[in-house]
Amino acid sequence: MHIPDGFLSTPVWAALDAGAIVGVSVLSRSAGREVEETRIPLLGVMGAFVFAAQMINFPVGPGTSGHLVGAALLAYTLGPAAASFVMTAILAVQALVFQDGGLLALGANVFNMAFAGVLAAYLPYRLLRGGNTAIFLGASLSVLTSAALAMGELLISGVPIRPSLLMISVSLFVVSALIEGAITLAALRSLRALNPAWVKTPGRFTRVETLAVGSVAIVLAAFGVMLASGMPDGLERLLEDAGVAARAKPIIRAPLADYEAVFLRSEWLKKASAGLAGLALIYTLCLLAGRLLARRGRS
Amino acid sequence: MHHVVLDHWSRRHSVIHARDARAKLAVAILLLAAVATVPVRRYVDVAGFSALLAAATGLARLPLLGLAWRAALVLPFSVAFAVMSWLSGDPGRAASLLVKSYVSAFTVVLLLSTTAFPDIARAAEWFRLPRPVILLMQFVYRYLFVISEQAQHMWQASQCRGGARRAGRRRHFRAAAGALSVLFARSYERAEGIQRAMAARGFGGRFVTLSRWRFGWADALFLAVSVMAIAGLRSFEVASWTR
Repeated sequence: MHIPDGFLSTPVWAALDAGAIVGVSVLSRSAGREVEETRIPLLGVMGAFVFAAQMINFPVGPGTSGHLVGAALLAYTLGPAAASFVMTAILAVQALVFQDGGLLALGANVFNMAFAGVLAAYLPYRLLRGGNTAIFLGASLSVLTSAALAMGELLISGVPIRPSLLMISVSLFVVSALIEGAITLAALRSLRALNPAWVKTPGRFTRVETLAVGSVAIVLAAFGVMLASGMPDGLERLLEDAGVAARAKPIIRAPLADYEAVFLRSEWLKKASAGLAGLALIYTLCLLAGRLLARRGRS
Repeated sequence: MHHVVLDHWSRRHSVIHARDARAKLAVAILLLAAVATVPVRRYVDVAGFSALLAAATGLARLPLLGLAWRAALVLPFSVAFAVMSWLSGDPGRAASLLVKSYVSAFTVVLLLSTTAFPDIARAAEWFRLPRPVILLMQFVYRYLFVISEQAQHMWQASQCRGGARRAGRRRHFRAAAGALSVLFARSYERAEGIQRAMAARGFGGRFVTLSRWRFGWADALFLAVSVMAIAGLRSFEVASWTR
């Protein structure tokens, strides 16, 4: 989902533009061999390949067809840092030449698709160490993450979307995410048959990488909690507007209801600790699911 | 496959075409920011910027309708979200989204129609945007048409072999995946060849150009007039808004 100019509020596009420039600069300095400057011609041609690949139609339903988005395929073949680079260049060319996404909104699109999209595709692939489930899951998550982020940015910018329309959009995102997963899986299986060396099989996470991913998640969770405590919950407000919240009754009393740990006094500490506990819970669930899937993959 | 029409337009000669790419890029970004910061329900104010863009198109001796049609590429997304906003009970914002996104797209089309892509890339580099990405963009743009043409040839070949006759959705899906992987293989091989050829010619991650930047009086005048016009329109809006 490429956001055009005129949709995002100034703080949103300005912050994401600044973030994207810093992100790309840091990547280009620290990524080392993967994006070495003499490799740029190769990466550029592979970027052009993604454009051309989007011309190939895949039948997905009666009278409808889908096409590849490409972030996941690039991450699995070129590596995540190179894939982020190539996606950034693709998004810039799309904004300039094809009016697909805006120039001021380029930072937002780069953040959603080239950074978050590639990361969302690569993490499951790395955690589950390749395999069909990981490919499908990663490619689907990549599209879903990018679309969810774009939708979130539009909502923060004040674009009014009714809850019913939001639900329709989310269902469309889920369908397109599943299509991307199926196309990427089919393409990679076919690619492996041609030349197995083209598909990179990830190794285990090193301790440093685990630590880095963990720290980033904790920082994000803490910032998210700070933000969430600072502004009213967008979805809650939407539900209130639609009159759903007044009628809603809790089905199960959640253990971390309203993301607060009741035994702590400070407001921020309450929310942050509940957020971190939630993160730990999600991490444990993901770990268990990963172990289960990996075991099933081996047998 | 023919090169995109923007390439043809950007090679024409006019007062606007002759201006320094850095000045044009700066003016375009300023105009985009001015349009983006127009308050939501003041979408009629964007008319001033539209008039400015129309005047620049006239000075560049480019077809206004052609550019307008080209900028309409942004509309599928904009219309979808404008309809959503309208259905959510905010027709003012819906119209604003539509108008602002269209005027912004027109600005980018005008920039690309009056400045060659490599010049824009050089200007972006001059503004200290990350060089590897700018370099990558140029390669993507250069090979975009080559690889797309290859994809088109493959599609034509498959049609000649009877690919039009659908042999079930599942088999067709598999065939498409096969085509995609073959395209990947060919692109990758070509990419490696290009990389080796570039390395053999001494490519070290930087394009060397013979032309130098020349920022003359005409460029300074263009920059000053454009900045004053944009700032004037914007402050007029702000004044009428706060009144």
